[in-house]
Amino acid sequence: MSKLGVRSVIAVPYIWLLMFFLVPFLIVFKISFSEMQYAIPPYTDLVTWADEVLTINLNLGTYAYLINDDLYIRAYMSSVRIAFFATVCALLIGYPIAYAIARADTATRNALLMLVMLPSWTSFLIRIYAWVGILKNNGLINNGLIGIGIIDEPIAMLNTEFAVYLGIVYAYLPFMVLPIYTNLVKLDNSLLEASADLGCPPWKTFLTVTLPLSKAGIIAGCMLVFIPSVGEFVIPEMLGGAETLMIGKVLWQEFFNNRDWPVASAVAIVMLLLLLVPITFFHRYQARELES
Amino acid sequence: MTDAASSPMLEIRHVTKRFGQLSAVKDVNLAINKGEIFALLGGSGCGKTTLLRMMAGFETPTEGAVLIDGQDVSNVPSYKRPVNMMFQSYALFPHLTVEQNVAFGLKQDKLPKAEIEAQVHKMLGLVHMNEFAKRKPNQLSGGQRQRVALARSLAKKPKVLLLDEPMGALDKKLRSQMQLEVVDIIESVGVTCVMVTHDQEEAMTMADRVSIMHDGEIMQIGSPSEIYEFPNSRHTAEFIGSINIFDAAVQHVSPQLSQFSCPDLACTLSVEGGTNAVEGAQLGVAVRPEKILMSRGQPQQANNWVKGEVLDIAYLGGHSVYHVELDSGKVVMATTTNMDRHEQRLTWKDEVYLYWSASSAVVLYQ
Repeated sequence: MSKLGVRSVIAVPYIWLLMFFLVPFLIVFKISFSEMQYAIPPYTDLVTWADEVLTINLNLGTYAYLINDDLYIRAYMSSVRIAFFATVCALLIGYPIAYAIARADTATRNALLMLVMLPSWTSFLIRIYAWVGILKNNGLINNGLIGIGIIDEPIAMLNTEFAVYLGIVYAYLPFMVLPIYTNLVKLDNSLLEASADLGCPPWKTFLTVTLPLSKAGIIAGCMLVFIPSVGEFVIPEMLGGAETLMIGKVLWQEFFNNRDWPVASAVAIVMLLLLLVPITFFHRYQARELES
Repeated sequence: MTDAASSPMLEIRHVTKRFGQLSAVKDVNLAINKGEIFALLGGSGCGKTTLLRMMAGFETPTEGAVLIDGQDVSNVPSYKRPVNMMFQSYALFPHLTVEQNVAFGLKQDKLPKAEIEAQVHKMLGLVHMNEFAKRKPNQLSGGQRQRVALARSLAKKPKVLLLDEPMGALDKKLRSQMQLEVVDIIESVGVTCVMVTHDQEEAMTMADRVSIMHDGEIMQIGSPSEIYEFPNSRHTAEFIGSINIFDAAVQHVSPQLSQFSCPDLACTLSVEGGTNAVEGAQLGVAVRPEKILMSRGQPQQANNWVKGEVLDIAYLGGHSVYHVELDSGKVVMATTTNMDRHEQRLTWKDEVYLYWSASSAVVLYQ
């Protein structure tokens, strides 16, 4: 293919990303430096032209406000903490699932993969709402346990952090299972046999061969769960109740309840910077793997 | 219990392996001596790999027993067997360097670090790979990978070394070079070795003894020359090299010479040595193509000759294979060495006499 041909093929996704990712991002970035005002749009212009004077109003106050008000710092910390532990839980549950699917014979394998993906055919919102019905005080679990006489009083599960963990692990589990599965299914069985041949019992083979060779899948799965979990809004909103503090909820409140677009934009920008850390780490790792 | 010198290092006793309805290995008996290189040779699906995997401990026999150095290991898992295998794909760990790969098995034995290092160095020296110690397997060529795989499987000083299609992943030129080198290394270590291959040339080059497997059974065991010169069945004869088989009936048997009548030949077929078949029995008389001579004039012998017409010639450089059609319609192969560059050779449609001596032919009973 000619150089022009190659460039025009690459250009399509680049233009797409430019139009629908970079430009909106720059708009949000711009808004984060403006001031709130009661108007349409609800923020001041960065650049004004009046009386033949060009004024640039760069308001850094919003960022200073984010640092000074500990609500935001606490929300970020709590989001990262919840996303981190939820990712660990998803890994601990997802890895054995992926392993079992990869080890199953081809016919069952496809059926099992189908079962992992099947829930995603229903709306995310509806599935999370279903958990409300399961977890609430007169919900499925509590009524069931009271019915068979194990407990007298309902256990408070809804509107707790536990429910948020449950929701995140439940919703993002396929994103953990699939990359690990893709990795494990490629694992050459003769490597496991070689390990056994050289004196490793099965558990040791798992630790010394299977686990290191599925590292790329584990990292990809963790990224796919961790990154969206940090900014998750629906799950903490519906399952977490008032006490669960997550940055996604804060962002929603700033934007819709307070109509403070500059603060909401700044919150979003800081979250993005926060997520750049694991993303860069991931890319570094991928680049290193490709090199060797 | 038994005398160490005479008892076999590896013994297969009445081993049968069934996968569902299918019997992959049927009542196989083998005794492999200490220090021997033994080849299991056969086509795909003959059960040779299943047999090897039972020796390694990746499969358990449905019936029978596998004994290593006199001990029944039939139910011992592979990680506890004093056996190491070189895999067809080499199965080098891609996340470990060459030296880590070789050290892998030694680490499981919890040897002191210095001892492991010394052994790794020694093994890599044996296969001339010390300078590649820090590389990863994907930075090596096919031949280098094989050397590392060999070093890894020898590092633990196994009682038996198993080779699964050892040259399967190499190209032809490298293959013949590595065959001799691998044999040299195995012999210098002195390990008992069982190899599986579908390549007869490989088996005959590398092994002291070869067993021909077919359909889960062992057809014949012998040295490469025994197998080639004295095949005991049509299957073995046809599997190893090429051969012409005449369907013949026993005419007269004496301890020195057996005589047969064959519809393809006008004269009598004679084979050196007696047979235990009765007169009139239908047998096969086989002659290898290189043992058949060709001439334009009628040969000066009463038996073992036939007239035909050259049907096809395969010129292979060093020698040519002639396909000669007999009057009966049967096609017989004969090879000649191309010694003279300017020689007037037989060509298509030429009438030719084929002849051979009684000592060149062999009787096939089944």
